[in-house]
Amino acid sequence: MRAIYLIARREFLSYVATWGFWLSLASVPLFMALGFGLPILIESSQPTRYYVMIDETGGRLDAAYQASVEESRARQAEEMREAVSELVGDNPQVTAALDQQMATTMLDDGRYVRVDPPATDVDGLRPYLLGERLLDTSEGEMPLFAAIYLRQDAEGGIEIEYWSANLTDGVLRSEIRGALRDYMRAERLLAAGVSGEMLDEADSLRPVVRELNPERAGADAAVTASDRLPVVVAIGVAFALWVIIFSVVNMLLTAMIEEKGNKVLEMMMSSARHHEILTGKLFGVAAVSFTLLAFWGLLAFGGGTLAQQAAASANMPIGDLIGAIFNPGLLVPALGYFIIGYFMYGAVFLAVGSLCDTLQDAQTLMSPIMLIMMVPLFLVMVAADSPDSPIVSIASWVPVWTPFIMLARLPQDPSTMELLGTTALMLVTAVVVIWGAGVMFRMGALNQANQETIKNWFRFGKKQNA
Amino acid sequence: MSDTILRLDRVSKQFKGQYAVKDVSLAVERGQITGFLGPNGAGKTTSLRMSLGILTPDQGKVELFGKTPGASTLDRVGFLPEERGIYRRMKVIDVIIFFGRLKGVEASEARKRGLKMLDEFDLLHAAEQKVKTLSKGMAQKVQIITTLIHQPEFVILDEPFSGLDPVNQKALERIVRAQAEAGRTILFSTHVMEHAERLCDKIVLIAKGNKIFDGTVAEALGEVPRRVHLETTSEHNLLALLAPFGEVRRDEDARDGSHCWTIDMGAGSDAQDVLKACVDADVKLTRFEPVRAHLHDAFVHLVETHGHGEEETA
Repeated sequence: MRAIYLIARREFLSYVATWGFWLSLASVPLFMALGFGLPILIESSQPTRYYVMIDETGGRLDAAYQASVEESRARQAEEMREAVSELVGDNPQVTAALDQQMATTMLDDGRYVRVDPPATDVDGLRPYLLGERLLDTSEGEMPLFAAIYLRQDAEGGIEIEYWSANLTDGVLRSEIRGALRDYMRAERLLAAGVSGEMLDEADSLRPVVRELNPERAGADAAVTASDRLPVVVAIGVAFALWVIIFSVVNMLLTAMIEEKGNKVLEMMMSSARHHEILTGKLFGVAAVSFTLLAFWGLLAFGGGTLAQQAAASANMPIGDLIGAIFNPGLLVPALGYFIIGYFMYGAVFLAVGSLCDTLQDAQTLMSPIMLIMMVPLFLVMVAADSPDSPIVSIASWVPVWTPFIMLARLPQDPSTMELLGTTALMLVTAVVVIWGAGVMFRMGALNQANQETIKNWFRFGKKQNA
Repeated sequence: MSDTILRLDRVSKQFKGQYAVKDVSLAVERGQITGFLGPNGAGKTTSLRMSLGILTPDQGKVELFGKTPGASTLDRVGFLPEERGIYRRMKVIDVIIFFGRLKGVEASEARKRGLKMLDEFDLLHAAEQKVKTLSKGMAQKVQIITTLIHQPEFVILDEPFSGLDPVNQKALERIVRAQAEAGRTILFSTHVMEHAERLCDKIVLIAKGNKIFDGTVAEALGEVPRRVHLETTSEHNLLALLAPFGEVRRDEDARDGSHCWTIDMGAGSDAQDVLKACVDADVKLTRFEPVRAHLHDAFVHLVETHGHGEEETA
């Protein structure tokens, strides 16, 4: 026990006493913030596009386009209101804030700004489109992004002539085409005798969808976003579990290869038994990962508490989300799956590390293991949509995938037999894998085996099969 | 208390069907410096690993301090493996404390002893340095300190001189002697005979997994035929004259025209008798040189005699 403790302690300190560890600790919330903030940043950093529209029909198509754009944006605003309402409930404060935001931003995209044309013919506009001449705008002198000519023939056919030096940004082009397509459709229907009222009524028709849960009755049967949260959170936790296990076992692998390469392992073997070294290292890195989890957990809890306080004042049900994340029914199994998964994969990675002198040597052996590790990532996504898929059910019984897939399936109430059976099989497999990894580790540490030995096992198997 | 610290009794170990060690027996007595000699690949490291219980023999029995090697006996042993390294990113004193604690020494005591030993090894200035900043010789001294920090009764050094320059080899010889004078039993493996000849009370010679000699250095030297080189200016036939004293061989003539001869002395013959026979026969001697045998010669002779001469020796 003394050796295990000392080796675990040394491993733990060798990680946490480095700047790199604390940087990586801080990097996850930083990257999460970046993940949320970057798209907004990218969107807000897009340059303003100035365009001119020349309606050769005398303003009819232009007016139709403007009307269509406003209608489309109003529809988007309504959809957003509905989405927000589903997430945070009917809250007048939130609705008012949203309406205000819509009024200031949604109705004026801000990215595409229409300006008065400096010339009406293409030859006159060409220098502006090519950037040889600039428009005088509120931002200063800017190039012309696009020049759009709208024409209509005698039969009502509409032609859009779209001039732009930018061949990739097609948002404006699509928007105009969509708007005028609706206009053409309406014109055709009106010409066919459909009344304007009828047309408006037809356009405003929307089916009402009520999603209901058969496990409940009455008003409680309605399915809300809160009902879906446990499934979403379980999928998220399963992914997080995979990422954490994968990260920490990679730490084990690289540390072991370094020790093997530096011949430290030989010195260690003279001071402790191989199983003490293996166990000590596993516990040491497990302590590192618990430090990571504790740090991130505290951060999430702190952030969640602050969010809850803010939400409480606005009567928002964010507590449901926090409750789903910190649900013991999910967190306790997640902890169990983490421990078993970590020891199973960790022991294998340590054994692989003990067989290799360099990371290049390890890559050959790691490739099949990595492929096996990647499978649950896809299956977890399948489990989210189709928890009753036979593939997901069968894969749950593969012990090395059980921690991830079963965790993702937990909120969907898998059968007790499935739960106990997969857990028992996973535990037995973990014991066998750790024992086998211990034997391999001993052989690798004493230079009695290397990556070629493992390759030869498979070559031998092939010969036998042939 | 038994005077035999380590006993290997007809021990064998195979890897992939090949014997690494075959039927080897040896005993290391308390207070002795025992040299475990053999060419590269002879089975020395495997034998030492079995001595510590790191490897289990396929056949035979190993006793360390009268018991099967285990965790309790390991704490009484200091082992410096052939392939050695220490944590490069740790401070020197921290490495020493870590290995001391692994061997059951309290952290404060390990620090105290470590600093004292660093001082003795002229390395006190490096105590707070990272290991990666040390030269190879300095790092090797630190490794030896980690081996000795728990004041073991029995010290096993596997090829301790390999990779060291002559100055550090001398320094290590002094360390080994000092440890022996402090009452420790020492077993070290090497294929460099000069160190064994200078240090060992007893040597065990192993080749291709088989033990081919076990005895004192003097006994090993006794296995080598003594040799005498002669140069003469007269035309005597020494082949006949000196045949009773051993195996006589005529070598190439010297550049000044004198004739060169070598005699590998037979058992019971003496160089003085050869000299007397030459003087009595009026042989004109310009050179008469009895050659003192070295352990290296004994090693080569013993290995070749036992049919294992193709291996590398130093």
